[in-house]
Amino acid sequence: MNESAPIVFVIDDDPSVLKAMTRLLNSIELNVAAFASPQAFLEQFQPGIHGCLVLDVDLPSLSGLELQQELAVRGNELPVIFLTGHGDIPMSVRAMKQGAVDFLTKPVHDQDLIEAIHVAIEKNRMNRRIRAELAEIRERLATLTPREREVLDHVVSGRLNKQIAADLGTVEKTIKVHRAHLMKKLNVRSLADLVRMAERAGIRSIIMDQKEYET
Amino acid sequence: MSWINVLWSMLASVSLTFALLHLFMWAKGIQPGANLSFAAAAVSIAVITGMEFIAMRTTSVEQMAMLLRWAHLPVLVLWVAIFCFVRGYFDAGRVWLAWLGSGLRVLALILSFTTGQNLFFNEVTSVKQVAILGGEMISIAQGSLNPWYVVGPLSTLVLVVFVLDAAVTIWRRGTDTDRRRAIMFTNSITFFLVTAVSHTALVNAGIIESPYIVSLSFMPILLCMSYELSFDLLRSAQLANQLQASEAELRINKQRMRLAASAADLRLWEWDMVHDEIWSTEKNYKLYGISQEEKISFDSFLNILYEEDRKTVRLAVENAILNGNGHYESEYRIMMTDNQVHWFNSRGRIEFSEGAQPLRMLGVTIDITRRKQAELAVQQQRNELAHLSRVTLLSELSGSLAHELNQPLAAILSNAQAAQRFLARDKDNLAEVQDILKDIVDEDRRAGDIIHRLRLLLKKSQAQYLPLDVNKEVEDVLKLVNSDLVNHNIIVNVDLDQKLPAVTGDRVQLQQVLLNLIMNASEAMSLTHASKRQITIRTEQNSVDNIQVSVGDQGPGIPSESMKSIFEPFFTTKLQGMGLGLPICRTIIRAHGGQLWATNNTVSGAVFHFSLPTSPGQSA
Repeated sequence: MNESAPIVFVIDDDPSVLKAMTRLLNSIELNVAAFASPQAFLEQFQPGIHGCLVLDVDLPSLSGLELQQELAVRGNELPVIFLTGHGDIPMSVRAMKQGAVDFLTKPVHDQDLIEAIHVAIEKNRMNRRIRAELAEIRERLATLTPREREVLDHVVSGRLNKQIAADLGTVEKTIKVHRAHLMKKLNVRSLADLVRMAERAGIRSIIMDQKEYET
Repeated sequence: MSWINVLWSMLASVSLTFALLHLFMWAKGIQPGANLSFAAAAVSIAVITGMEFIAMRTTSVEQMAMLLRWAHLPVLVLWVAIFCFVRGYFDAGRVWLAWLGSGLRVLALILSFTTGQNLFFNEVTSVKQVAILGGEMISIAQGSLNPWYVVGPLSTLVLVVFVLDAAVTIWRRGTDTDRRRAIMFTNSITFFLVTAVSHTALVNAGIIESPYIVSLSFMPILLCMSYELSFDLLRSAQLANQLQASEAELRINKQRMRLAASAADLRLWEWDMVHDEIWSTEKNYKLYGISQEEKISFDSFLNILYEEDRKTVRLAVENAILNGNGHYESEYRIMMTDNQVHWFNSRGRIEFSEGAQPLRMLGVTIDITRRKQAELAVQQQRNELAHLSRVTLLSELSGSLAHELNQPLAAILSNAQAAQRFLARDKDNLAEVQDILKDIVDEDRRAGDIIHRLRLLLKKSQAQYLPLDVNKEVEDVLKLVNSDLVNHNIIVNVDLDQKLPAVTGDRVQLQQVLLNLIMNASEAMSLTHASKRQITIRTEQNSVDNIQVSVGDQGPGIPSESMKSIFEPFFTTKLQGMGLGLPICRTIIRAHGGQLWATNNTVSGAVFHFSLPTSPGQSA
């Protein structure tokens, strides 16, 4: 898929640090968007942006960690790299647990920052790809008729065609037809692919729920 | 024993006694003129008495005639003596009258020797025995009267006029004692002169038969005159006694004063400002490095003081002269010969003449060295305590200060590394690199600033009182404490009066107070919701000579029962506090001449206010 170039979002309330960091990242030809406060960033934020977030932990009014949480709520996928003037272990542990890519102390070494950014961007790329794929799957699933959907459920639960026919009160032939249609719609060639896709979409086996099917 | 003998002997001896007495006084130099004249008068009366006596006993005509002839000599002496006495003692009576009277008497004497047998009689024809009182027989001369007789009484008349004139002069002088004397003396003289002369004339004319009573008549006059002279002598004896007593008392008082002065380490002094001489109870000038013999003028006194103190003392003296009540007070140091510095406190008062000119200054000087040393020691300790408190405050800030320093360092590092990369990519992109370097320099300066401010507060030195702009100090302190406040999510509202006049104070200590109050405010809000944490700092001019600074928070406020105790030492609600911050702040503000107090906000939180006097010379 085609993507716009990744943007590194930098948030720091100290203007000189912000400027210096912007410069540094520019010097390795990264796109930078600098913000002096989390509020300013949130105004511009849209989910699905390609890039990563470099964030000073010690910000007035809304701490970096809180912003991380806020972004998660809004469906953020930007990986976060934390910078701090004085890091303590509990804080860094919490940050990492909340899913930060890295936790660096200021003054930050350019190499460390650049590596972390690359990791973050890569992670972001991966996430986006996964999400895109998932979206596509969902799209495709949405094209199924309700009957086809039913058949899918049973198929991925491991039911044979004739069993499915019996379950749904119809003939095997009909089931075979549905099966062929849905596989085409979903663009999968084998049962294994179908199951994988279903799994990714979060469709679970119905066998667990219906024990009475056992004869 | 005939009473004539007795009486006349007594008269003679009394006169001679008087004469001797007053001669003695003349010899001693007591009113020499008056006493000498009086002595002469007394002697002449003694002589007259003797002559009278012989005349009363004589039977021979020649003897009688001779006696009467020579009698005029002592009379002359007597007359002249009276003239001299009145003039010398009372300083009154016209001189020409004196000369006239004396001249007439001299004439009378000459006539007594040249005309007839004597001035009284042309010729004494007989000596008659007459019986008088008590069966005594005395001799009386009889004969034809000398036509020049009148010269005698004439001179007497002149004498009387002279005496009366003197009396008028004395009366006019006005004092009561003088009048009394005038009356007494002149009346008696006049009376007895007239009596003596007329009685003698009557006896000579044969009209009365009695002894001459010239001597007798003069006795009262002698008594009067002696009384006058002795009165003064008596009085001067009394005065001499009193004087001795006062002198003794004065000496004792001086001694007491010296004793008291030295016991209390005092020095009493008097400065004669007209002649510029200083007297003092301090007799041991050597200790001060002045030789005993030197006369101490104000300038030589100033010279023994420490140089810096000379101006202060001079100013204090000028002040005392210019302000209405002449009060003088100053403190100064002197390096004594024991190589120790001594502190003195001097107080005095100026006495002004009627024309408001300073005449002299009286005062006291105390050696306050020990007190001063104690004061300095206390000051030292206070300084150390304030320093300790500052250090404690700053250590509380250390975390955020480190952060504060970290920011410029981080910026410098990123900038430098960016520059390295830029140069690696494009060696000619110097413009960008220049920009970067400029920023690096700025960042470095910023870090240096913070360190500088830190150093200022960390140093321990004597308080230096200089003019300060309180607004600037507030801003400086805020820069220092900025990241700490940010960390705690505290917003600071500043409301600074732009026209705030300057105050005189020690920068370090004032910043310490501000820092302490701000950190207290921050801690007070530790349980307040993050969004509500606000510190309000306000500066304003209270009155013409006062400014006020307020630091308010949104915390729980101060409970009313704690209002007083918060300024007491060791009162703290913090787990790890020493409870010395506010008491020290109060001491600092008091030392600056201001007040520190606290109030509660109406809604929430407490406000700490302190006032400071403006620098003199500031217009409102």
